[in-house]
Amino acid sequence: MAIYEEENNRLSIKLVYYGPAQSGKTTNLMRLHDLLRTDLKGEIMMMETANDRTLFFDLLPLGFKAPSGLLIKFKLYTVPGQIAHDSTRKAVLSRADGVVFVADSQRTQSINNGESFANLEENTARVGIDFDRLPLVVQFNKRDLSNILSEEEVWQRWQGAPWPLVFSSALAGRGVIETFHALLVQVYNTLNEEFDFENNHGLSRDAFIRQSIGQSQTDGAG
Amino acid sequence: MPTAIDDFDRELTLQELLRGIDVNKLSSALQALLHAPVAVIDNKETHLFGSENCSTSAPRVALIAELEAIGYLTADADSASLQAARDILMLLLRSNARYLIASDLHLKTQLDDFEELQRRHAALEVSEQRYKALAQTLEQRVGEQVKTIEKARIKVFASEKLASVGRLAAGIAHEINNPIGFIHSNLNAISSYLESLDKIGTLVESGAGSADIRATWQREDMTFLQQDLKDILAECIAGTTRIAAIIRDLKGYSRVDQADYQSANVNDILRQVSNIAKAEVGNKARILLDLGEIPNLNCQAGLLGQVFLGLLLNAADAIAENGKILLRTRLDDKRICIDVRDNGHGIPEEALQHIFDPFFTTKEVGTGMGLGLTVCLDIVKSHGGQLEIKSKPGKGTLVSIALPLQYGKPS
Repeated sequence: MAIYEEENNRLSIKLVYYGPAQSGKTTNLMRLHDLLRTDLKGEIMMMETANDRTLFFDLLPLGFKAPSGLLIKFKLYTVPGQIAHDSTRKAVLSRADGVVFVADSQRTQSINNGESFANLEENTARVGIDFDRLPLVVQFNKRDLSNILSEEEVWQRWQGAPWPLVFSSALAGRGVIETFHALLVQVYNTLNEEFDFENNHGLSRDAFIRQSIGQSQTDGAG
Repeated sequence: MPTAIDDFDRELTLQELLRGIDVNKLSSALQALLHAPVAVIDNKETHLFGSENCSTSAPRVALIAELEAIGYLTADADSASLQAARDILMLLLRSNARYLIASDLHLKTQLDDFEELQRRHAALEVSEQRYKALAQTLEQRVGEQVKTIEKARIKVFASEKLASVGRLAAGIAHEINNPIGFIHSNLNAISSYLESLDKIGTLVESGAGSADIRATWQREDMTFLQQDLKDILAECIAGTTRIAAIIRDLKGYSRVDQADYQSANVNDILRQVSNIAKAEVGNKARILLDLGEIPNLNCQAGLLGQVFLGLLLNAADAIAENGKILLRTRLDDKRICIDVRDNGHGIPEEALQHIFDPFFTTKEVGTGMGLGLTVCLDIVKSHGGQLEIKSKPGKGTLVSIALPLQYGKPS
């Protein structure tokens, strides 16, 4: 749940990139770091092992000031995808305000995707998050590879699921901002119930999203 | 028992980021680089380290954590040098941040894992208690189950025995009917002899003379009658003795529920059983007994009789005509060995493998449950013995039983 600190006039929003091992969660964060034009953009803090696998998490801080002076601060985390790191995944997921589930489009990864999604659902329950109310976007990544599920197949499989589906190739930077955008819409709607951004901070949903992504990008992301 | 651990994703203050860093060394290094006294204050203007009396008008640069300034570096130095010193300081802080966050997260997951472990341990302890309780009653439960199984086993034995008795009934009826037939006709003859005696009796009572009586005696052929009466009475006695013997054997065999151990001679049991089976085996085979000198055996005689009868009937079934069934006993190193050998059609090899399987039968449907040999083996084993079957198709079958004289069942 977003943390509001009156003392620092700051609202911290935690967004988590979840998914099976090597589905491209860290790549998503790296491309966002390159592509976003948010006013305040920190360095990515990476905690990786020697062979490029995320050990604890990666962290990308972003932020902007609302007209009221409130600092909206995003902390974008990835979780380690390997099954063994479940305690870390659980710790990172705790108090998340939104989740991007990064699925691997390769046909061979369907089972891993399924298991990881089930693990997400299980862990949200364990950290006390209502899964049905959690802002969530499902991203099918690695569209640039061959031997992947077709978009029709993915649509068919996820038919009836309430979450937005985004197809991406994070390595090439495609679909990364669209995914972030789709998540921001839901996050704004959810947080707005508590903080009433429009009235308290002069922040409409459009402005919230525009500022989060950076002015120049809003036209392309929609 | 949760221990308070700071959240790994909290906002770290400058003071926290300096944890573990020797600030005196850091401050003199910075001072040497900048050729001026330096001071570091946090974003609440609290002095953290360096020179206390740095001039307030000295230039300062912000120390940025993730997005925001968490403190400032102040020194009376040129802007480029100050920036460079700030960059070095921030690299240091960043690396320390990585360490702090990682260790906090590590502690948190360790603690969670530990709590999870304790929870599971507690659950295990509960289940261990349950198993302990279960183990305590287990012996009693097993005892009850054994009793139930024993009851069922005796029922199976009894039903097998009943089946063989049923099969024997016709032959035994014939065996008993035979003597009854001639005893009956003998008794009729005896009553007609009584008429002749009556006539002589009337003469005697009426005071007739001895000449008259003698004449009648001769007319009625009483001398012959006297002799014949002796003969046919002897025949009747022999007949009833035979019936009594059959009944005795049958009774001996049919003590179904007499499962008690008793001292009995296996030869006697075999004799009894072969007498009972004689009628069933009939004319198609001879039963030959070759019984060696053997001591008494503490055994369940009724059950052993059932085994021998079952084997005898099996042998008879294997014989079409002119057969031989040999029963042999001998003592072999504290074991009583019993052979049942026949020269019947033998058992095919594929059937031999399944011969002790319950409900395996080669006989026609309705003639047997297929429990005969299973029960035989069971009874022999319960006497600590062994039962082996050798067979050659076309030649015959040999069933060998060995029963140890000493077997630990109390009588």
